[in-house]
Amino acid sequence: MEYATSLNRVGSPAVEDPSVTASVWQDVLAQAVTGELIAVLNYTSLSEICDDPAEAAEAIEHADGERGHAVAFTAEGKKLGLEVASNVNGKYWSRLRASFLRQIEARDFIGCLIIQEIMLESFAVASYRRIGEVAPGSMGRTFAAIAAEEEEHIDHSLAILRAERAIDPAKFDDKMKSLHLDVMTTLAEMLAREDKDGHCEVCHGACVKDGLQRVGLSTAELRGVSLQHYVNTLDSLGLPGEMTLAWVTQLPV
Amino acid sequence: MGDTTAGLNNSAKSQPVEFALIAHQESWKAATDVLAVLRGPDLPPVPEDEIRNIFPWIPPRPICHIDYHSVMGHSSHGIYIDSFIPPDRLGPAHKAENVARVRAAAVCAINSGARIVSLGGFSSILIEGDVQLLPEQKETAFTTGNTLTVAFIVQGIRKMCELQDRAMRNATLLIVGATGDVGSGCARCLAPLVKRVVLNARSMERLTTLGQALTAEGTDVEIVTDLQQISMQVDIVICVASLESPSLLLGRLAPHAIVCDAGYPKNLSPSGELAGAVMFYGGLGQSVGDMIFQPDVHRVLHHHPFPNVAQGCMLEGMVLALEHRFEPYSRGRGFITPERVAEIEMLAAKHGVHLAPFYNAEGPIEDVISSGERHKA
Repeated sequence: MEYATSLNRVGSPAVEDPSVTASVWQDVLAQAVTGELIAVLNYTSLSEICDDPAEAAEAIEHADGERGHAVAFTAEGKKLGLEVASNVNGKYWSRLRASFLRQIEARDFIGCLIIQEIMLESFAVASYRRIGEVAPGSMGRTFAAIAAEEEEHIDHSLAILRAERAIDPAKFDDKMKSLHLDVMTTLAEMLAREDKDGHCEVCHGACVKDGLQRVGLSTAELRGVSLQHYVNTLDSLGLPGEMTLAWVTQLPV
Repeated sequence: MGDTTAGLNNSAKSQPVEFALIAHQESWKAATDVLAVLRGPDLPPVPEDEIRNIFPWIPPRPICHIDYHSVMGHSSHGIYIDSFIPPDRLGPAHKAENVARVRAAAVCAINSGARIVSLGGFSSILIEGDVQLLPEQKETAFTTGNTLTVAFIVQGIRKMCELQDRAMRNATLLIVGATGDVGSGCARCLAPLVKRVVLNARSMERLTTLGQALTAEGTDVEIVTDLQQISMQVDIVICVASLESPSLLLGRLAPHAIVCDAGYPKNLSPSGELAGAVMFYGGLGQSVGDMIFQPDVHRVLHHHPFPNVAQGCMLEGMVLALEHRFEPYSRGRGFITPERVAEIEMLAAKHGVHLAPFYNAEGPIEDVISSGERHKA
């Protein structure tokens, strides 16, 4: 159940003529493509530390899937005559990648799953789903379809993580908290009302956040749906609700 | 994604959960204060405008554990679950979403193993009259907690009349929100004690039904849907209407009237003139025993100038847990009788839960009243 479905929505969805809001969609697509490319890199890295060949193959399959998503988003930009840039070295995305690589270096398969499948995918699924509701034409359908695909492949990882938590809940929760402070802090800063440290290095011009209202979106809403999806995912893993609430309240705004 | 209902940190507590309190914040100030405590003292507080952006997206979940130690030496362990209903979205337009939130909070309570669950504030209002909205449960009983709320309102009125040397038998009593569970319970308990009762609510049909029942028992009753239509001045007022925000304006008050605002959210508009009336917040109890909240959110969950004060509806669940009375004690509109009120009052007193000292927005008022001029009715 998504609460606040009608809350904080800035009102009317997409302007019918996307050329009016082209620059906004250009940046929304750029962020999506960059996120997908980060996922490609992360799954590729993950495949290299998997001891189980089946898990390695699955990681490679996921990487291919994420690459396909990046291609699909780029194609949607082209339909609007937009050049969709990407920058995996952008300020926030590179921090997220660095966080993941630390788990790779530690050969921590569970840590990798938590970052990619729980944290980054929560952000992707929830925000894509919402963007899919307001984006015009085939772009909206593409966001919605990719949101559904991303959500589907999380189930397998959730089963692995539940089994891991069952072995030692306290240890698992400590790890989750540590990764939360690292990764979710970056995501929260990325979705904060203002970029306190300057440009994100992905948007092609000024920050897209101010323009989101022109297409029926807002950073507050995207942050809200993402955190809600994340918290619900943690609930489904069995983490105590009062503990994850405290974590979320401690994120930067 | 499977069961996405929030779990509970049982590893932090060895005791089983016996009671759960489901509640929501009545103002953005209260919501901001709660999140500030959870955020911790080392981080800067989140501005209220950001809280308004974040709060509506939080799914229902426990926010603290409660250990309750009665003066009888009994203890009970429980949890406080916030449904995170946004304080400015309590109105009928959001009923479906709010019912979903309360249901999810109820599932949290069931999953925690709670044997008795109090449904505070709008949580009970949403479920009153349609118990089918509650999730299926076998081992968990739900109570609105309204019987103890009524008990404390009635006690408060009686005590205030005593402090003011007012003869209730000569008084006209107005109940705003009279057809609700709490309002109708107050009417049944107080009607035999006063000269005349004025019932106010939105539904003429429900007013007529309640009015006829009280008239049949010998009470002089007037029913009005518009407060401006009351035919004579009122001496005692109980405000228990389901309002989204404090917006009620009273008229036709007798000089030195007694006004009890027991609404959640509060009923009376801060801009309203009470023309010399004595106003206090009602429906509140105070525990002589210890209530220990972990994390310590008690001072922000219960904005009262006295320790261990809470709404009667919340305290009812704790008292029933201490008594091992895991039953739907307060079942919704129409079941609150003077006999049930007397029983829960007695059980509460047994465990050291009594009427809270009087206060209002200005602060404590009991000493002021006790030492001040008294008024003959």
